[in-house]
Amino acid sequence: MELNSRVPSGPLADKWNNHKFSNKLVNPANRRKYKVIVVGTGLAGASASATLAEQGYEVQTFCIQDSPRRAHSIAAQGGINAAKNYQNDGDSVHRLFYDTIKGGDFRAREANVYRLAEVSNEIIDQCVAQGVPFAREYGGTLANRSFGGAQVSRTFYARGQTGQQLLLGAYSALSRQIHAGNVKMFNRREMMDIVLVDGKARGITVRDVMTGEIESYYADVVILATGGYGNAYFLSTNAMASNVTAAWRAHKKGAGFANPSFVQIHPTCIPVHGDYQSKLTLMSESLRNDGRVWVPKKGDDKRRPSEIPEEDRDYYLENKYPSFGNLVPRDVASRNAKEQCDEGKGVGNTGLAVYLDFADAIKRDGEDTILKKYGNLFQMYEKITDSNPVEEPMLIYPAVHYTMGGLWVDYDLMTTIPGLFAIGECNFSDHGANRLGASALMQGLADGYFIIATSVAHYLASNSLEEVLGSEAPFKDSIQEVEGRIDKLLQNSAGGPAGKLTVDEVHKELGRLLWDHCGMSREEKSLEKALEELPGIKKKFWDSVYIPGSGKDLNQSLERAGRVADFVEFAEIMIRDALAREESCGCHLRVESQTEEHEAKRDDENYTHVSVWEHISDVEAPKMHKEELKFEFVTPSQRSYK
Amino acid sequence: MSSINLTLKIWRQHNSDALGNLETYDLDDVHTDMSFLEMLDILNEKLTKEGKEPVAFDHDCREGICGMCGAVIDGIAHGPEKEVTLCQLHMRNFSNGDTIVIEPFRSRAFPVKKDLLVDRSALDRIIQSGGYVSINTGGTPDGNSLPIPSSNAELAMDAAACIGCGACVASCPNGAAMLFTSAKISQLALLPQGHAEKKQRALSMVAQMDEEGFGNCTNAKECEAVCPKGISIRNIARLNREYLFAALTEG
Amino acid sequence: MWFVRFLSSSIGKKLIMATTGLLLLLFLCTHVAGNATIYMSSEVFQGYADELHSHPLIVIVFSTIFLLIFLAHIGMGLFLFYQNWQVSKSRYSVTTRVVKNTFSSETMPYTGLIILTFLIVHIFSFTFSSSEVPISVTVKEMLGGFFYGLFYIVSFIALAFHLNHGFWSMLQTFGMNHPRYNDAISKLTLILPLFFLIMFAGIPLYFMTGLGASY
Repeated sequence: MELNSRVPSGPLADKWNNHKFSNKLVNPANRRKYKVIVVGTGLAGASASATLAEQGYEVQTFCIQDSPRRAHSIAAQGGINAAKNYQNDGDSVHRLFYDTIKGGDFRAREANVYRLAEVSNEIIDQCVAQGVPFAREYGGTLANRSFGGAQVSRTFYARGQTGQQLLLGAYSALSRQIHAGNVKMFNRREMMDIVLVDGKARGITVRDVMTGEIESYYADVVILATGGYGNAYFLSTNAMASNVTAAWRAHKKGAGFANPSFVQIHPTCIPVHGDYQSKLTLMSESLRNDGRVWVPKKGDDKRRPSEIPEEDRDYYLENKYPSFGNLVPRDVASRNAKEQCDEGKGVGNTGLAVYLDFADAIKRDGEDTILKKYGNLFQMYEKITDSNPVEEPMLIYPAVHYTMGGLWVDYDLMTTIPGLFAIGECNFSDHGANRLGASALMQGLADGYFIIATSVAHYLASNSLEEVLGSEAPFKDSIQEVEGRIDKLLQNSAGGPAGKLTVDEVHKELGRLLWDHCGMSREEKSLEKALEELPGIKKKFWDSVYIPGSGKDLNQSLERAGRVADFVEFAEIMIRDALAREESCGCHLRVESQTEEHEAKRDDENYTHVSVWEHISDVEAPKMHKEELKFEFVTPSQRSYK
Repeated sequence: MSSINLTLKIWRQHNSDALGNLETYDLDDVHTDMSFLEMLDILNEKLTKEGKEPVAFDHDCREGICGMCGAVIDGIAHGPEKEVTLCQLHMRNFSNGDTIVIEPFRSRAFPVKKDLLVDRSALDRIIQSGGYVSINTGGTPDGNSLPIPSSNAELAMDAAACIGCGACVASCPNGAAMLFTSAKISQLALLPQGHAEKKQRALSMVAQMDEEGFGNCTNAKECEAVCPKGISIRNIARLNREYLFAALTEG
Repeated sequence: MWFVRFLSSSIGKKLIMATTGLLLLLFLCTHVAGNATIYMSSEVFQGYADELHSHPLIVIVFSTIFLLIFLAHIGMGLFLFYQNWQVSKSRYSVTTRVVKNTFSSETMPYTGLIILTFLIVHIFSFTFSSSEVPISVTVKEMLGGFFYGLFYIVSFIALAFHLNHGFWSMLQTFGMNHPRYNDAISKLTLILPLFFLIMFAGIPLYFMTGLGASY
């Protein structure tokens, strides 16, 4: 597998401009001759579809939900970063670049991150012009708030629904192109396979989830914008339909998968409260500005929190990190919560939670002030848990939230399969080993609005593609393969459900395995144990999962089963990746690589690289390749929050 | 944590052409901390284990923002709690021994596809007919070039909060989509960016809305009462005004 | 044609209802002003009636316009009622209304039909009544009767309910919904119907209770 990052040469600030100039173009009149497939309609997919269609390409866009407006980007709460420096507090493109690459613990490509910071300003202009109702100051200018990992105020927001508003902006641009006939929209289609002709991506095979029909579509370029794989853990803050299938199918056809073990675990989520739970809900990180995190000093303390006196409480973040206290970065906060619970000091029914207490803040600032800041979050918390944070401390626990890993892409966002691009959370490109708050929205829209079109044009102009009609052998083979896999999934159904397992039961087992061994802290022995147990889960899945109904119909159990089958396969490279990276960096904490104070210790000498996995075959182990990261413009430094 | 026993009457319909009916299921030991959809998950696991076909229902984010879920619970879209979607409705709103009737969102424009799952693509087509500002990517002026009064931005945001779930249509005695359509028209009418096309937008979106077979608004206010995002019928008033003005002056 | 397209759209139909409703409301205002003369004395009332009928052209033109407006209001109302009935029949097995106090909005077509019936009776009794008996005498005779008076009172109660929803609904359709004025509007939705109820239903009561004996 050849990993050529195609990073343009020259000074950092000129790379993107030079690259845009050196990339080839497609004449406007010729664009309509090219077909582009976009899979996914989140921020990246919707913005890419709209932009390419505006430029004149014939676009076909696919989404798994009943409408492109429902992609999970919609759930992002906090905001979107941009280097506008409207606050005059010393922000600049270079500072946004530096904060992002440092936040990622120096495991991302300098040139990509710089470009991201560069186009961030255009994104805000674009969204404002679309009618996104960003928060405004009384004078009518755009308002900003500050976010973790930055000392400037650069986050633009629309209440706690920024993701929704940005997505609806992209969705409206997409809708306009659908109306104009430039985008053909396919709802309720799940991508099952990618079709290669002469080694180039030329189409996809999808399942119409309403009818069970397997269809294939052809194009000159395929763009995946299919999001992250956090649902491998079963419980995560991701939407129920978020999955790895599209990326995994591409991987099996030759696309390298980069840093699969880089999974961000968000410290402030509402804890799990029972086996029946289907997903976790995030509470905004901003709560840690005023809430104090604590657990009882003694394990198994059954007193109500208000009955536990100060001397019996352990404010462990404040004690361990006096200078940052409760505001340590996400990964540190998450790891410490887990440590406390592992020591038996966790609270709540399950013992898997810590308190986030607002009593002192309320005493200091008054209830009104606190409610003004967090009222809507308190309300949301109360709706879910039936407990009022004003009276009782909140219970929080970390949860899987975002995946920095993804399909490996070069500077042009093209995977190792020619003609196959990956954008948004689906690729690995910009966040290194940890993503800062309010950067995911920025990356999705940067890729879709301002980067991908240049890449597509260059690819089309520099390759002469043979004509395909969608009826060639690779398409037929792909359909057959997909049908075969569906038949295989349904093989256990004939005998009835007796003695069988449901899809969710196996998925929960997989999730538990990954959470325990490849979650917030990773250890060689434990990872090896997980690797040993994985084949057992796979066997259990194929031998005993019972799926009711047929493949030729709307069958939600079958849809889930297909995704879980891929998660089970995917888990292997996740664990292997965590095992191979014997350093701690960002979200990835190897117990063996810690400082004396139990902080993550990077090993820049041996691990300043992206690990890229290549699929060999279903029976052989995957092979790891390295893309060395060069830091020409910044000097990696060790993080410290003491 | 306590648990309750329930009798569920759920609309089962194999496909759009089939005749549907209410089926009765007993479900015991439902934890009151569960969300409504988690309760349906449990039912589906139970049905699967019994070799029966699970109930099809739409859902995705399960945090009340994607707008994918929704059903009519005892005659109320998204159930008895105010300003929540079905996924955020918790079982503590019900009592032991309750019988709960669960039906799909119904409207002439929302054909039932299977069980509780309906086709709401008509709402997408309303947006496609004009729910946008016609600008291409790139070449846009600086975000601060047009000051927008904070109060207008807030009102626009109130309207823009619509998640497109279709509860307004499902609850309207006439199956009208006025609240949905007015939310988008209001958002864009309140912002200077949307001004250039506001007349054409009002005309085409209303025309599309009528073409899809949605009913007439009779100001019954049910839509506002069930809207999980609390969108006000003040937006409908604004739509009426926009439409009247557009119809009389466009061209 | 744009005008037909406009009026046949869902909002256009509502605008027809609201506009005709507004004109009918204005008609009610003039009518109530004329009727108020009853409370003064039969001479004043008779004088008003005679003055009105001494300008037959005005009466004919106004009556015709009024009739057309009324027909538009009823016709469109019934059409909407039919369309909505088609949508709402057998929709859910359980129907729950979340909005409280929906009585007047849900009964709009029925209160409307009561008003229509009343109007027919009213026109035949008064407008086309024998021109030999002075109108002031007819009024006292007819409205003093128990059943006839009761029918009037019931009709005016229906009118009050109709106005209760209709007035707010009309403003909403015209796009008037603003937090600054909504308080005033919601007060008016009570005051206005009550005013008409007192003024109109007061007349039969005036005669039935004997208060108008010296009329």
